[in-house]
Amino acid sequence: MRRASLIDLSGAAVVVAVLALTPMLLNSNYLTGVLTVCAIYAIWAASWDFMSGLTGRENFGHALFIGAGAYTAGFLATVWFANPWYSLPAAVVVAVAFSLVVGFPTLRLKGPYFALAMLTASAIMQRLCLIFWEYSGGEEGLYGLEPLILSPLHYYWFVLAILVIGVAILTALAHSHWGLLLRAIRGDEATCQAAGINVTFYKIASLMISAAFAGLGGALYAHYQLQVSPPLFSVLVSITVIIMVYVGGIGSIYGPAMGAILLTLLTEMLRGFGEYRLWIYTLTLMLILFFLPNGLIAPLWRRLTERFR
Amino acid sequence: MNAILEVQDVSKRFGGLTAVKNVSFSLQPGELTGILGPNGAGKTTLFNLLTGFIPPDSGSIRFEGQELRGLAPYKIVNRGIARTFQLTRPFLGMTVLENVIVACLSPRARDAHDKESRAHQLLDQVGLGAKAKDAVETLPYGDLRRLEIARALATRPDLLLLDEPFAGLGSSEIEPLAQLIKRLHREENLTILLIEHKLREFMALVSRVIAIDFGEIIAVAAPADIVRDPRVIEAYIGRTEADHASA
Amino acid sequence: MLEILIYGAVSSAIYAMLAVGFTLIFGVARILNLAHGAFYALGGYSAYVFATLLHFPLFIAAPLAVLLVAGLGVLMERFLVRPLRTSQLAVLMITLSVSLAVEQGLFITFGSEYRNVPSFVADKISIGGVDIGGQRLLALFASVTVLCCLWLFIQRTRLGAAILAVSQDPEAAQYMGIPTNRIFSIVMAISAGTAALAGVLVSPFLTVQPGMGLLPMVKAFAIVIVGGLGSIPGSILASLLLGYSETIVAYLISSSWTELVSLVAVVTTLMIKPSGLLGRRAAF
Repeated sequence: MRRASLIDLSGAAVVVAVLALTPMLLNSNYLTGVLTVCAIYAIWAASWDFMSGLTGRENFGHALFIGAGAYTAGFLATVWFANPWYSLPAAVVVAVAFSLVVGFPTLRLKGPYFALAMLTASAIMQRLCLIFWEYSGGEEGLYGLEPLILSPLHYYWFVLAILVIGVAILTALAHSHWGLLLRAIRGDEATCQAAGINVTFYKIASLMISAAFAGLGGALYAHYQLQVSPPLFSVLVSITVIIMVYVGGIGSIYGPAMGAILLTLLTEMLRGFGEYRLWIYTLTLMLILFFLPNGLIAPLWRRLTERFR
Repeated sequence: MNAILEVQDVSKRFGGLTAVKNVSFSLQPGELTGILGPNGAGKTTLFNLLTGFIPPDSGSIRFEGQELRGLAPYKIVNRGIARTFQLTRPFLGMTVLENVIVACLSPRARDAHDKESRAHQLLDQVGLGAKAKDAVETLPYGDLRRLEIARALATRPDLLLLDEPFAGLGSSEIEPLAQLIKRLHREENLTILLIEHKLREFMALVSRVIAIDFGEIIAVAAPADIVRDPRVIEAYIGRTEADHASA
Repeated sequence: MLEILIYGAVSSAIYAMLAVGFTLIFGVARILNLAHGAFYALGGYSAYVFATLLHFPLFIAAPLAVLLVAGLGVLMERFLVRPLRTSQLAVLMITLSVSLAVEQGLFITFGSEYRNVPSFVADKISIGGVDIGGQRLLALFASVTVLCCLWLFIQRTRLGAAILAVSQDPEAAQYMGIPTNRIFSIVMAISAGTAALAGVLVSPFLTVQPGMGLLPMVKAFAIVIVGGLGSIPGSILASLLLGYSETIVAYLISSSWTELVSLVAVVTTLMIKPSGLLGRRAAF
């Protein structure tokens, strides 16, 4: 359908190169750690955008899949002492399973109700983690996970590679007939039905894909932090991801990824502001909703590269 | 010859209101039939029942010998019934071509290898070929109707249901659309069932008219005869004669 | 058993008042106000500031707190929500942001310790052998009174009729000369005000802390969904159901499960009958 133009690919290549080389040049474990978190948030944001950005069904409970993936890694490590590399496929499977269980009944609901149902589902998981503290480690969660790759720099490159591959896959899907169908579903579901499209299938499938990447990111995060705890399921995580998507430009996939990276960097730089960071996030969301509902990054990129298309 | 569509005793109530009451009729393959009735007679509800958008309370709907009750709308489309909507709702944010490609992605239509060229072909057939790359928001009302038809055709239907295709069109647009419908009926070997509440459009187009009022069938006849049917006249003009008679 | 009955009644009444405010603003203005819990928290904290910090007498501090929060609610609706009315999702996001911002703001200003607000009624009363704090009983009666007044107001006054008209069809109401925007503000004031009143009434016995709005919000939200968005009788019915379910669960299993009751009720309702028990508008 729409092929990524040469200028888009060049831009992406430059960004990836900068992201990959910077920590090597600056030789700082701290920066490498921050960038690793940036990349993971980018995976979360891009995965959210693929489903919610394209279909318009905004998922306020993305944390459900993130936490599911992270806790899967946690259980595998601390309860079954498994090889940490099993975490990744296991996290994907568990997150996708969650998306099936939750998706079937909730996807037929209209926009705000779907959003709230997902929000409630992730809140339920958070509460369950606290209630069944003997299994989940309660407030403190599970700790003692092992890193997948010992060298922080190499782990960062690994995560970055997954991010690049993930964004490539999601973008390819979004530009294909899949993406067209998802956008049609956003337009008018009844008309889609009248066009012979099995709307439920595509909604659930896109939620599953979104969950798969979110869970994968969750496992990657778990093996970075080396611990998992209930706040991973919280509404704060979900809304942070949504803010990143909106800053990046909803529906563009690469925009949210960039938005995630920039906002995470910003958060680190604002570390001194401590408690005020949430206010800054909230303010950012309000400003975006009022003045830039199409986001900042993707529209800006499109505007700058207009001449080259 | 076996009927392509057999509707038997179909009823639908919405709370206290009976929208469709014991409606029975059948369509032979290749017919161009019209459903006539004043506003609120239950015509669109009947279409919604036939296409699975709402479930009937009772009765049976058999298409090519198979029962349609309980099937989701998209499944019915993939059995071979396509419909247009009275209020056209195109997929916004996409081009005209993309709007048709969506329908080409349905299972029934999917075997065509190149969806884009098939979509172009369909647009040419309805006369929108030149506007394929335009944003769908720029289409005037009459063209939106043609787009609806193209989208319906994309699913390779055997039966095409048209919901008030002439509504809201100016007199200069009605005739070309009627010609298009006639042409498609011939070229694609379709069975067509169309709803209208304006009688004139029917006359030249359909071979048989089913008249409905208050959810019930009140008459079935050729267009020339239906205008003379007293019940149809009463439905349209009112009960003035009958009232005066009993006063 | 009697204990469950009475404590359950207190819970139900407070939640009912919270839920009705939430369902009211949705029914009239289609606003899913996720900041409703924040108004509750602000009510409690305002009572704290006026009564404990500024030493105003309680009969001044309480109404003042309610009026202040009602005003804040009106401002939020006017400047943050109304411009985004076209998208329910945007409204969800902005009210969610407000809720998070308020909680954070309270945390920054007052810290995380629990604060005390003096009771209106300090004595304990004994009913049928069950001891219950006077404040709780006051909360029960005040809530019931407010709900009855609200019901009468909507059913019997001209303004109430206008509100009903706007809730059915805002455009048509406008054509009839009803100032819909002003109605939105009035309803928002009532909604925020009742939330704040709930906060004021419970603060003496539940104490005040920055996250206090979260749990009640979850419960009010659950009540509204189960009862049916936009239906006041539905909210009252559901608040009885949920209020008592929670009290029973707390006695039989453990109090940490109570939040789960509400959440599961929400998810179950959304999946089985999204329009709730008595709701008119289905979710799909």
